[in-house]
Amino acid sequence: MKKLILAIATISLVISCGKSKKNENTATEETTKEQVVNVYTHRHYEPDQNIFKMFEDKTGIKVKVINASADELIQKMKMEGKQSPADVLITVDAGRLSRAKDEGLLQSIESEVLEKNIPAHLQDVDNQWFGLTKRARIIAYAKDRVKPEDLSSYEALVDEKWKGKILVRSSANIYNQSLMASIIANDGEEAAKTWAEGIVANMARSPKGSDRDQVKAVVAGEGDIAIVNSYYIGKMLNSPDAEEVKTAQQIGLFFPNQEDRGTHINVSGAGVAKYAPNKENAIQFIEFLIGKEAQQVFTEANYEYPVLESVEPVKDIQAWGDFKEDTLGLNKLGENNKKAVLIFDAAGWK
Amino acid sequence: MQQAGNNNKAFSLKTRIKRLKRDINKWSVFTLAIVFFLALPIIFIGVELFAGPGETWGHIVDYLLLDYIWNSLYLVLVCSILVLLLGVSSAWFVSRYDFLFRKQMEWLLILPLAIPSYIVGYAYAGFFDYGGSMDLLFRQLGLEFMRIDIMNRAGLAFVLSISLFPYVYVSARAFFLNQANNLLEASKMLGVGELKTFFKLMLPLARPAIVAGLVLVLMEVLNDYGAAKYYGVNTFTTGIFRSWFSLEEPQTAVYLSALLICFIFALILFEKWQVRKIKFTSSKTNSNQIQRKRPKGAMKWLIFSVVFLPILLGFILPVAQLIYWAVITASTVFDMEFIMISLQSFAIAIASAVITVFFALVLIYFSKWSTLTTIKNISRVGVLGYAIPGAVIAIGIMIPTLALDKWLINILGNFGIDSGLIINGTLLALFYAYAVRFLAVAYNPIDSTALKVDNSIPDSSKVLGVGNLKTFFKIDFPLIKTGVFSAVILVFIDVMKELPLTLILKPYHIDTLAVKAFEYASDEMVMEASIPSLFIIFTAMIPVIFLNKLLIKK
Repeated sequence: MKKLILAIATISLVISCGKSKKNENTATEETTKEQVVNVYTHRHYEPDQNIFKMFEDKTGIKVKVINASADELIQKMKMEGKQSPADVLITVDAGRLSRAKDEGLLQSIESEVLEKNIPAHLQDVDNQWFGLTKRARIIAYAKDRVKPEDLSSYEALVDEKWKGKILVRSSANIYNQSLMASIIANDGEEAAKTWAEGIVANMARSPKGSDRDQVKAVVAGEGDIAIVNSYYIGKMLNSPDAEEVKTAQQIGLFFPNQEDRGTHINVSGAGVAKYAPNKENAIQFIEFLIGKEAQQVFTEANYEYPVLESVEPVKDIQAWGDFKEDTLGLNKLGENNKKAVLIFDAAGWK
Repeated sequence: MQQAGNNNKAFSLKTRIKRLKRDINKWSVFTLAIVFFLALPIIFIGVELFAGPGETWGHIVDYLLLDYIWNSLYLVLVCSILVLLLGVSSAWFVSRYDFLFRKQMEWLLILPLAIPSYIVGYAYAGFFDYGGSMDLLFRQLGLEFMRIDIMNRAGLAFVLSISLFPYVYVSARAFFLNQANNLLEASKMLGVGELKTFFKLMLPLARPAIVAGLVLVLMEVLNDYGAAKYYGVNTFTTGIFRSWFSLEEPQTAVYLSALLICFIFALILFEKWQVRKIKFTSSKTNSNQIQRKRPKGAMKWLIFSVVFLPILLGFILPVAQLIYWAVITASTVFDMEFIMISLQSFAIAIASAVITVFFALVLIYFSKWSTLTTIKNISRVGVLGYAIPGAVIAIGIMIPTLALDKWLINILGNFGIDSGLIINGTLLALFYAYAVRFLAVAYNPIDSTALKVDNSIPDSSKVLGVGNLKTFFKIDFPLIKTGVFSAVILVFIDVMKELPLTLILKPYHIDTLAVKAFEYASDEMVMEASIPSLFIIFTAMIPVIFLNKLLIKK
């Protein structure tokens, strides 16, 4: 009995704590009209927290964050409708941004800063979303077994000579879906299907694990080449685990399709929510994210390519050299996403 | 009643309605109301079923469904076997024998529950992969060619079993400790050997308790997303996420959920059916504890290893891997914020555990007091939430609560009050969601202890004119206390680990450790995820030790 009372006391305590906290919040909001920007983000990177802090220090606008996958955030915003507290939506791929746009969750904004500084193919035609950072989907190869001259394009990977040599993660992964979407856009659906089947036939093993795991598997000799995102190699080279650093050092980086359209890139980007209660703050926030300071942090801490051309990529990724990027409008990635998944399933790409 | 049942067919509709009117009482109504409240999210998802599946349903049937069914069946089967072996054997040995470190191992055996299974999955992958500890060891020994690949279906079954077997261990041990003594003595007097006593007597009697634990394990297995995705195994749950988010078809996801629910429902019916076959009558809680035997010689070491193995695999190894990662990443990840987040997680988990257990108690007892016989079965609908992926429940909760919020905003707006969202984005929605999701976790231990209470005591109390509620607090509650507190702790641990639901429904500026761990892990920063994971483990360890004290107390 005593324990029951104790338990009830605990709940009421916790709930009253929650309530009093809420009261405090509303109280302060009423008295000082605290400026806030509510951010729904799929970027779960620690350096982002530092960028948000820099923004708070600079502007006095408080950044409130909800972290979840972009899909879940989009569902949430859809349901919240006009009452949604979201001001800014940040995703790690362009496909999700263009889907949010199609669902009517974003609004067009006017910002000279964004317009001027972000290359045209990295932002939405209607100014509903803007790229913040770039990542390239590259081919990582075992330096001791593969000559870079043997590599050329994504399409060439279906060649017989790579049978049992290719490592790539599951098709549930958005970066693979976007790559496929870009191949559909560039080569057409039929060719994309043949390509998927060819890759499946050449796989060293059934897809599993993360991009880092594919790189490790290459070094372990399970296969010779892996399709992975560029920044994971940067992270591995700077890993606190000495073994991981050693592993990454045995890997060469190849940017495919340099002879034609360029290497497939994707962006992590942001848009202002349709019903943003703090629209001005939201614009200011996104402008800050493509400012010099923030872009510097993105590339230094996360090994991503900055979208701001005046910011140099961090040393590790400069060492990989410049590359030609596919300037396909990133809206296409969203449009073709579903087709991409269907093709993956039909080709048996797990 | 039995006779009435036999004549059932003879009743006309009219008499049936009459009977219904006679049998219905306020408890039936309350029960129905609560079941409705808890089932609301599931109902909203169910309504979606009538909209038909999305256009890719045919595509899924053609290419994926067989794979989902086959893999899920495989996991159910292999995990059942592993979990029963690990859980029952260790429960029996620690209850029956006294050996080195028994007291410590009793609670160490529950600890694997404190680690989210996807974290165990990451830890094992890290342990065995290229450049991992095991790999380095093999290299030292000159066995480079020996690399154990754990990232496959069998590996997934192993990881899930090793992190979930304590559900079976806890319920089996509770039975052995509380019920076994008289029976053991009787069996001993009749000169029956140790092995025969176990297989012929204890195991069949413990079956309901064991199966109750097993059903929880299997629901968790079917619900796992993180580990299955990482290990590249397609299951129903990964399929639900894929069709919802990659194929953009919520209706198709709902269809897959519905299939999964049928699967779970079959498991629940199976459990009910097999418990029904064994009617307990010798069910008074035993006050005298088991007299433990002291094994000798080789037997001593055999028992020690059988009990130690699950602790080693389920706790020591993964935690060692996490600690190693934590040490090499501590400087970049750790700050004081973690203490704050730990406290928040702790408070949220305790509060939602108490709320959930309250609902479970209310459901079990209200339906007991209700004279309507079918109500008990209806009340079981409330536990279905456990079978549904957290993300799906979150959506099921958002639909009705947002409607309510909008309605409130309108009404309050008339009075010139701008209220904003009252339920969504607050702790209320989160608590509600946890109650829906984890009711089964609370329901089963309470229900199985309540089953053992000899009804004659509360019944005589009622005959003497004491009301239902008073009887409950004075008589039933003290008798089922152990079950209730086990329930609180089990829900607590589950909430500590819960992820998708928390991600979607959590208020701004409240973080939980699981969310923090996921943020890292989802971006392949598995090493960095180790520190929040360790915090989850240590926060969950405190109540686990408490749970153990509860279970072994007389």
